[in-house]
Amino acid sequence: MATISFDLVSPENLVFNDEVGTIIVPGKDGDLGILPGHSKVMSSLRPGRVMVYSEDKNLIKSFFVSGGFAEINPEKCIVLAESVVEVNSLEKTSIEKEIQELENKEGKESEEQLSVAKAKLEAINVNYYDKI
Amino acid sequence: MPSLKDIKTQINSVGSTKKITSAMKMVAASKLRRSQEKAEAARPYSSRLEEMLSSLASSAVSGEGIIKLLTGTGNDQNYVVVPVSADRGLCGGFNSSINRETFKLVKSLEGNGKKVQLMPVGKKSRDFFNRVMKDQIIESFVDLNVSSTGYESALNISNKLQELYFDGKFDKCILVFNKFKSAISQEVTQQQLIPLDVSNSEKEEGKENSSNAIYDYEPDEETILKDLLPKNVSIQIFKVLLESDAGEQGARMAAMDNATRNAGEMIDSLTLKYNRTRQAFITKELIEIISGAESI
Repeated sequence: MATISFDLVSPENLVFNDEVGTIIVPGKDGDLGILPGHSKVMSSLRPGRVMVYSEDKNLIKSFFVSGGFAEINPEKCIVLAESVVEVNSLEKTSIEKEIQELENKEGKESEEQLSVAKAKLEAINVNYYDKI
Repeated sequence: MPSLKDIKTQINSVGSTKKITSAMKMVAASKLRRSQEKAEAARPYSSRLEEMLSSLASSAVSGEGIIKLLTGTGNDQNYVVVPVSADRGLCGGFNSSINRETFKLVKSLEGNGKKVQLMPVGKKSRDFFNRVMKDQIIESFVDLNVSSTGYESALNISNKLQELYFDGKFDKCILVFNKFKSAISQEVTQQQLIPLDVSNSEKEEGKENSSNAIYDYEPDEETILKDLLPKNVSIQIFKVLLESDAGEQGARMAAMDNATRNAGEMIDSLTLKYNRTRQAFITKELIEIISGAESI
């Protein structure tokens, strides 16, 4: 079976770079499942999970991104994300605390942070896409 | 003529200076390697972003809202100049060349009747411009430590700049920074940050356009562009901060290497002087003894 090369890049480093089977990225208008040979798409991303699967559809890794961009062509998929964390390393309690703190704050900036934090919490709680 | 003891003290003091400078050189060398790695790690992101941007830039039509970061305000009366220097000295001409270049730039812009404001980054340029053009400083950023705080530090500067820009406080923003060429040489560079200067990537654009023409955009080109432009400002600043950081370490390494070598030369010449004086002293004593013995 064919593979597609996948790069996950944050401003500080190259987080992931390998040949994979399938990737799911959180597009702004809805999740995109990317298989080898995908048509050329450029999409902006919402905060959410980037899931990476091997050729035989086993989940290799799942990352949380706070938004960014994806560039997809038949051979390659590149995700540029501002902050990248592995979903496994997120801590539920600290995020819940963060949400509480942010909810008491006003202003556009904390609103944005709040939506990111909420998406983080969701990323931990949900488990669809774990098996495809 | 200095006494033997004076020379000895001088040799010792130069010797300890040499120890310090060579230690600083060592520290700078190891920091340089780390900064260089950081700068290298950031490269894929910024180059990808630039590619995306250049393929999208052609779709910018209206000059409203965020798109203004690309198309400009239509004026070029008010400038913000951002000199990026180090927080610490002892790195040769690194800081002073930034300050000199910025000063020249500001003067020439003012000569053309423009209004210029300053936003120094780094203690050394802040202190310098605090002395010479205090009333033109709108904001300064010090103790950034880009190698440890990372992207966050660039975000602060970028947010402040964009806030001012969208308030209509300035029309153009120019960065002055040391471009890292190699471990021993840096080049003072000016880069226009706002509005975005796509002219230097235009060469590639021609051949890229053909391959990018068939991209699907989701949600659409304009929305992506609106997301992309503010990010690009931050990432450009981040890149500049990293380059400047690597340049600083390189400059310090070179400066300290020179200082160590100079101290070595100085010790050599002082030792020679010491030995000569000692010999002259002995000869003098001998003459005294001999002439004393002869007179008896």
